[in-house]
Amino acid sequence: MKNHQPIFELDSFSFSFDKHDEPSVNNVSCKLYAEEVTLLLGASGSGKSTLTLCLNGLYPEAIDGFTSGDLLYKGRNISSYPKGVINQEIGIVFQDPESQFCMVRVEDELAFVLENLSIPRCQMKQRIEHVLDIVGLSQYMKHNIHHLSGGQKQKVALASILLMDPQYLILDEPTANLDPISSLEFIETIIKIQKQQRFGLLVIEHEIDDWEPYAHRLVALNNKGELLLDSTPKEGFQNHLHKLTKNRIRVPKRYENRKMPIRPSSEKESTEVIVNLKDIQFNYKNKQILNELSFSIKKGDFCAIVGENGAGKSTLLQLIAKLIKPVSGSIDFLNTPLSNWHENELYKNMGYVFQNPEHQFINQTVYDEVCFGIKLRGYSRVETERMAHHLLTDFDLLSDKWKNPFSLSGGQKRKLSVATMLHSKPDLLLFDEPTFGQDAYTTSQFMRIVTHLNDKGVTIVFVTHDMDLVDSYCNNVLVMQQGKIVYDGTPKALWRKTELLEKARLRIPYRLRLINEEMTI
Amino acid sequence: MIHSLNPTMKAITVILPAILLSFSFDIITPAIMFIYILILTFFFSKLNIKKWLFYFIPMSFFALGLAWMTMLYTDDKYATGPIVFSFFSFDIRMGSIIVSMSLALRSLCFIGLSLLFAFTTDPTKFMLSLMQQVRLSPKLTYGILAGYRFVPTFKHELDLLKKAHRIRGLGRAKGWRNRVEHMRQYFIPLLAGAIRKAERVAIAMESKGFTGSKDRTYYTVMKIKATDYLFIIIMLIILIIAYYVSYRLGTLNIFGHRIMP
Repeated sequence: MKNHQPIFELDSFSFSFDKHDEPSVNNVSCKLYAEEVTLLLGASGSGKSTLTLCLNGLYPEAIDGFTSGDLLYKGRNISSYPKGVINQEIGIVFQDPESQFCMVRVEDELAFVLENLSIPRCQMKQRIEHVLDIVGLSQYMKHNIHHLSGGQKQKVALASILLMDPQYLILDEPTANLDPISSLEFIETIIKIQKQQRFGLLVIEHEIDDWEPYAHRLVALNNKGELLLDSTPKEGFQNHLHKLTKNRIRVPKRYENRKMPIRPSSEKESTEVIVNLKDIQFNYKNKQILNELSFSIKKGDFCAIVGENGAGKSTLLQLIAKLIKPVSGSIDFLNTPLSNWHENELYKNMGYVFQNPEHQFINQTVYDEVCFGIKLRGYSRVETERMAHHLLTDFDLLSDKWKNPFSLSGGQKRKLSVATMLHSKPDLLLFDEPTFGQDAYTTSQFMRIVTHLNDKGVTIVFVTHDMDLVDSYCNNVLVMQQGKIVYDGTPKALWRKTELLEKARLRIPYRLRLINEEMTI
Repeated sequence: MIHSLNPTMKAITVILPAILLSFSFDIITPAIMFIYILILTFFFSKLNIKKWLFYFIPMSFFALGLAWMTMLYTDDKYATGPIVFSFFSFDIRMGSIIVSMSLALRSLCFIGLSLLFAFTTDPTKFMLSLMQQVRLSPKLTYGILAGYRFVPTFKHELDLLKKAHRIRGLGRAKGWRNRVEHMRQYFIPLLAGAIRKAERVAIAMESKGFTGSKDRTYYTVMKIKATDYLFIIIMLIILIIAYYVSYRLGTLNIFGHRIMP
């Protein structure tokens, strides 16, 4: 394929947000070809998204950034094209399904694209119907986008890009916010369309296992935004594995030489119950969310709550934390009904880490943030300082002590949000999708912290979509489906229940997929 | 049906009588208009009466409160006629009662008209119509539409934020200073999230070929039909009738000037 004319040609291309800043994309030279599927890899902050926005022609113009070197599209400098032309030939599907639409209904959103292209009105309806048919959303034409699932929203985003008949399509972590099955469905949809329409595809993704079989090429950036690697996937993953992992890039699991560590399930099987729920029912706006839910979590457990989006996982977590009240049923924490707990006393013994760490920040500096909870528990000033210092050291945040929490990187924000929950030794920590949309390095760092806490006797309950995490860390897993617990037991036994997994829209962990694959071969 | 009227024309039909009505300081004129507005609301629009009352009742309390205050503190120019009753140290004269009741009825008319518009107009269509009939810039109207989509997300986010702060041990705010401090703590994360989302939507819109140019085709064409003119004309005729009836009855009062037949 290389004898074709490249669609993009980068020659010592650099981009920076400010003249004096270090460039985000640094001296990159490479060629991208139409009809190829290219994987663009790099850790968080390596300039991948910035590069894609340059390819799309939005940067540097949209934000007055600075470029040097050359970026050629079809042999011509990209800045020499009139406004709006590049946007139409190069489509992007973004990560966040919530913030890529401006209209209320599916039909109107798609029409918005056609209107931008000044397509005559008489052709619009037919083209909208056609593209919805391609992505498999025909019956949703008149639906409200807000009511669709994350996976469906991403397909609407894809459909709106396809309406522009793009020559080249960029996918900027399109499945990062989707549950595993929806994510797989999205990938299959796009690959099918790519094979029919033969546009070039540039994929940015943290989890590349499902993409890798379709990829022709691999381009990797290091954390300074420089080109690290430009090769075929096979060569890259086989011969440069070390180079990639050293730069915090996750490689497909089948190339990983180390096995995921399986934590030995604790020998000291505790029988003491820490949380007990009985006949819980919860409604929201006259809709039944949870129905006759009963289960208990034992002290020292490392427990995961899994299930597809909308199954009621977050609701369950909030009920345990007394943030919402059930319609009927009772919840006991440490053998005392939640209603008898005083709020201050309860949150001394129980922590809750939200999906977005920013929600938990209330102070101006990292240091004050950590001190806040400790002070509230009535410790002396000297004691507070000592404990805060200890926590900051533990979480490797000491050098960022005086920074504003909002200015931290994603991974550091996550760490700080956990640190703020550890003012007094809690018995129970609840996490709402703590690794959602995080890169491999941040996830493993986070899991190390949590495992450490669990070893010290803290009971961990977390909502997740990542079955590999469940497989390697948890001793107990709850599967939810439509407001009910359909499974409560060890992960190992769960993986054997094929029918149940399918119903709850779960995928077995990679380790077992591999075994299954080998068996079929 | 009012739902199917052109939104821009409907907006004019609602604003025009509201302005013209503000000259009348008597009871009869706004009362007739209010009855007409109620007829429109209940018989010519398919709105949910329960939901309508949910907004109308609290707003009408505000109107009555306003009228009550006007009655107690009427300008001397209007506080004429015999004393009807006394309330503590206030002597309430006939003139005050009429002026305040007129104010209450006018307020109810404004509320009724606004609700009629709000409940029967699709925001998307309103924006489309502003673009097509008033030639408002697509940059502005699509910006408003994109923002409108965020309203439910914003609510959800604030709810989560409150919960997260409770867990941190930030109890309910007591006193003014604490409340202001609370607002700041909610404001920054909400703002940070909003800016980020706004930037993302803007980029997504541009990458879908949106340039802000007025030169675009429309999927949903908004037209002005004969019924739109009819609606505005009937509204004005009723207004004229209201003024005329009041004039014939000898109650017409424009800015405090009695106008007798």
